[in-house]
Amino acid sequence: MATTTIDRATGVKEAIAACCDGALLSATQPSPDTLQFAIEKTVMRAIVASLVDNFEARFLISVGTDKRPITGDFAVSHVFSLDHDHLYVLLESPVSEKDPRIDSITEVIPGADWAEREFRDAIGVHPDGHPDPRRLLLADDWPEGVFPLRKDVPYNYQPPRAENVRPQMREPPAGASVLPIGPFFPVLEEPAYWRMFVEGETVVGCDTRIFYNHRGIEKLGESALTYNEIPYLAERICGICGFIHSTCYCQAVEKAAGIDVPRRAKYIRTIMLELERIHSHLLWLGIAGHIIGFDTVLMQIWRIREPVMWLCEEISGNRKTYGMNTVGGLRRDLPDQIKPKLLETLAAVEKEAIAVRNAIVGDTTLQARTKGVGPLTHEWAKKICAVGPPARASGVAIDARIDHPYAAYDEVPPRIATQEAGDTWARVLVRVAELLESIRLVREALLALPQSPIRAEIKEDIPPGRVGVSVVEAPRGEAIHIVLTGGHNRPYRWRVRAPTYPNLQALSAMVAGANIADVPITLGSLDPCFSCTERLETVDPRTRKVRVYSRGELLEISRSRTRGGGAR
Amino acid sequence: MTLWLIKTSLFCLLNVMIALFLSPLCEGIMRKLRAALHSRFGPPITQPYWDLLKLLGKEDLRSTGGIVYALMPAATLASVLLLAALVPMGVAAPLAFAGDFIVVLYVATMSSVLIMLIGFASASPYASIGSSREMMMLLSVEPILAVALCVGAFKAKTLALVGIVNWQEQNGPSISMAIAGVAFFLALQAVAGKLPFDIAEADQEIMGGPLVEQSGPRLALIRWAMWAKQLVLAFLLVEVFFPWPHFGTGLDLVATLVKVLMVLVLVMLIDVVNPRLRIDQAMGYFMRVGVSSLAALAFAVIGK
Amino acid sequence: MFLSKLREALICLKAGRVTLRYPFAPREPKPGFRGKITIDADLCFGCGGCANVCPANVIVVSDAEQHTRTLEFYWRRCTYCGRCEEVCPEKAIHLSQQFETATNAPEDMYMRLKVFMGPCQRCGRCFPPPTVLDRMMKTGFREGLRGGNV
Repeated sequence: MATTTIDRATGVKEAIAACCDGALLSATQPSPDTLQFAIEKTVMRAIVASLVDNFEARFLISVGTDKRPITGDFAVSHVFSLDHDHLYVLLESPVSEKDPRIDSITEVIPGADWAEREFRDAIGVHPDGHPDPRRLLLADDWPEGVFPLRKDVPYNYQPPRAENVRPQMREPPAGASVLPIGPFFPVLEEPAYWRMFVEGETVVGCDTRIFYNHRGIEKLGESALTYNEIPYLAERICGICGFIHSTCYCQAVEKAAGIDVPRRAKYIRTIMLELERIHSHLLWLGIAGHIIGFDTVLMQIWRIREPVMWLCEEISGNRKTYGMNTVGGLRRDLPDQIKPKLLETLAAVEKEAIAVRNAIVGDTTLQARTKGVGPLTHEWAKKICAVGPPARASGVAIDARIDHPYAAYDEVPPRIATQEAGDTWARVLVRVAELLESIRLVREALLALPQSPIRAEIKEDIPPGRVGVSVVEAPRGEAIHIVLTGGHNRPYRWRVRAPTYPNLQALSAMVAGANIADVPITLGSLDPCFSCTERLETVDPRTRKVRVYSRGELLEISRSRTRGGGAR
Repeated sequence: MTLWLIKTSLFCLLNVMIALFLSPLCEGIMRKLRAALHSRFGPPITQPYWDLLKLLGKEDLRSTGGIVYALMPAATLASVLLLAALVPMGVAAPLAFAGDFIVVLYVATMSSVLIMLIGFASASPYASIGSSREMMMLLSVEPILAVALCVGAFKAKTLALVGIVNWQEQNGPSISMAIAGVAFFLALQAVAGKLPFDIAEADQEIMGGPLVEQSGPRLALIRWAMWAKQLVLAFLLVEVFFPWPHFGTGLDLVATLVKVLMVLVLVMLIDVVNPRLRIDQAMGYFMRVGVSSLAALAFAVIGK
Repeated sequence: MFLSKLREALICLKAGRVTLRYPFAPREPKPGFRGKITIDADLCFGCGGCANVCPANVIVVSDAEQHTRTLEFYWRRCTYCGRCEEVCPEKAIHLSQQFETATNAPEDMYMRLKVFMGPCQRCGRCFPPPTVLDRMMKTGFREGLRGGNV
């Protein structure tokens, strides 16, 4: 397996190098499955187009890095995945400080829209030709010219407060009115602002403003924490896929540093990842029921889910933030006495999940609300680079566990569930199938669990300047962590892309022409996890700055907004 | 004359008291049933009383000025209590008179229209959408109530509700009245604002619909009006369409209460096992129910 | 359709009521639960290893007074990761089973521990024994000590 990968990788490397002609600055292979090409920024767009057309590359994310302390320039990197060859391709371009611009690739790949706006906000390199260069990451009152991920901006920088600043939102087309969904809305768990343009009950357009909860996690990881402290931060990127993020990060560092994780740790990571998928999908099924008003489904499915949470509490000490991952393996072992309990609980969950599935399959009122609702076509899913169950429900058969096997998935491979219809009902079916498949995977992994240490001993410091790309299949799709190692026992650059990031970009196409009543369930069917998508600015607790609004002030603010013309 | 006045006002008071003070208890029982089907314990059955007390004690925030807007929630509750006085509950209605079933239909519509107006008076887009949905539901559901009662009027050859009830008691069940009863029940599901038809107040989709800006005492009165309405219409359903067994004594009130409770339990059971329909789907559904209730009219014409 | 509704209703009824009566009945967490930190002041000898590894900077060590090392614990930021428990050579710091940590008194979230230390004979400042520090440096924890504490 390894040798064929290397041969294939060499072949692909030479093919891409040939494409670049004279603009190639360097071609390296940081890991057996990662190819890195440094090219001139002038040919970036052409080479991206050629990768997409000739190599079937799938766009993953862009990374903007401030490499001025090392090379004197900024670096913009576009990361692709060659799924069939199980390879990552990084196309990096140096961008000089005197001319911080690069050609936008959004016209070639619509899915790169937000990624480019993000590196514009983070390090200040402007994507030329981008169709919608508004702010994405930064708050609307953040001062111009201060780019947080540049190395000269401290992580606890607090800009002066601005008054009366609003996000620049588009105006509705003639004849349509505005229906704001968010920032506060009952079915949204986190703040996001979808400005729906409606005529009567039909949606004719949509504008988005999210990243209200941006927390600055990437900046923290580079400035204030060390390699082994970051898993705890990574775990808190998301409230439901925490273990996925900490595993993905640890895998990225292990890849960059060339650390071999012991087999038992890999198997236990697999088991915990699949357990997380089980309880996340059960949670989602309940929430989907709640969104369409079917609270009974919510209550019953969460009742079925609860024993899994108790199990996780027994294994890791906490229902959700397991704290088990560390660079090099795990800190906490799976006790042997938990195995029979694990199997018993999973058997009960499986039985009840099948009973619920058989009950809802014949429910016509439920299907009336989900069939044909929120369609995502196969072509658009590929163009917008959707991942996870929304992509698989539209017939795009991608799964990080098969495309880039990690942990123990090469020995315990899953079967991918796909559907063709691309509507909400298809997504329900895909997730139910994945849920049952995960139960099978945990059983198999438990059976094959080897006896070995759970942690690799790391004797030396991790050398700086190494790149590690790692993906993990979260319940929502593919999560990616890219680590560029640095000195002082911490990464130089840590890039996180959560699965909801590309999926949310697909929303506007999915709600076009839909009824307003279908918008919440369409959004819900993407299983959006905003905390993953946004990584918010922290407040330094040492300065203890707190602003408290008095009741009078709050009333005045809300009344003045109403008097000023109703909803914006 | 004065005896008649005293008797009427006493019975009026009885009906109004039942509508006012029994309806939170019925709502509490329904919530408890819903909780049991959700595999949880749920609040105590007296919870709605505590909810009302809490809301009545809060600040009265109004988003629009004017005396009309200020009085709307009270007017909603008043219209439902008027309806309660017109509907027989175990005995003849205190305000019964010839032709009163048409008045009943109008008064039943009044509270829905008032809630709609409250929604339109709010500045929120959610309230406007909720009110327009309420309007569409009203247009779909009220004709069914009218047709069902018309079937009864046709068979009894009288426009007085008490006449219809008496005719039913004497003549026993019939096909047309059974179909009309089922149609009325389905319309009750929508009027009571229960799933699958709680579209106007869909809180997951439009943040509470017409009531999004109501809080404190205004919300208390409106909620009370909604609970009272579902109870009163359940009484109407039971009295007009299923008045058997008939004792002719005070036991009638108890029997009616038991039947009303059964109807409300059935309403809740249907609520628990259904998701919410979209407004166009609901309107299509009620169109079909309307056609079936016209079939009931046809049966009544041919004498069945 | 009615059959599926019936099936759904049966699933609900068969389950019965499963919600716990908490807080009217106690809810014990499973063994191994990572709850609030407890410190045995008699065992702690002030090495500061816990302060070194805490990702949330909950523990602050200072040597303001002679012969005494002060450890301050700001519990409100604790993320219950358990690194302090892992590192402590004397097993003085320990994650208990307590999860009911809500309070509206900020003093509950703060603790100060003063440990009498052996001073250096030349400069008079306190120092932890070198062997413990050396051990910690090797196992991949934060490189270097926090400025001003040694």
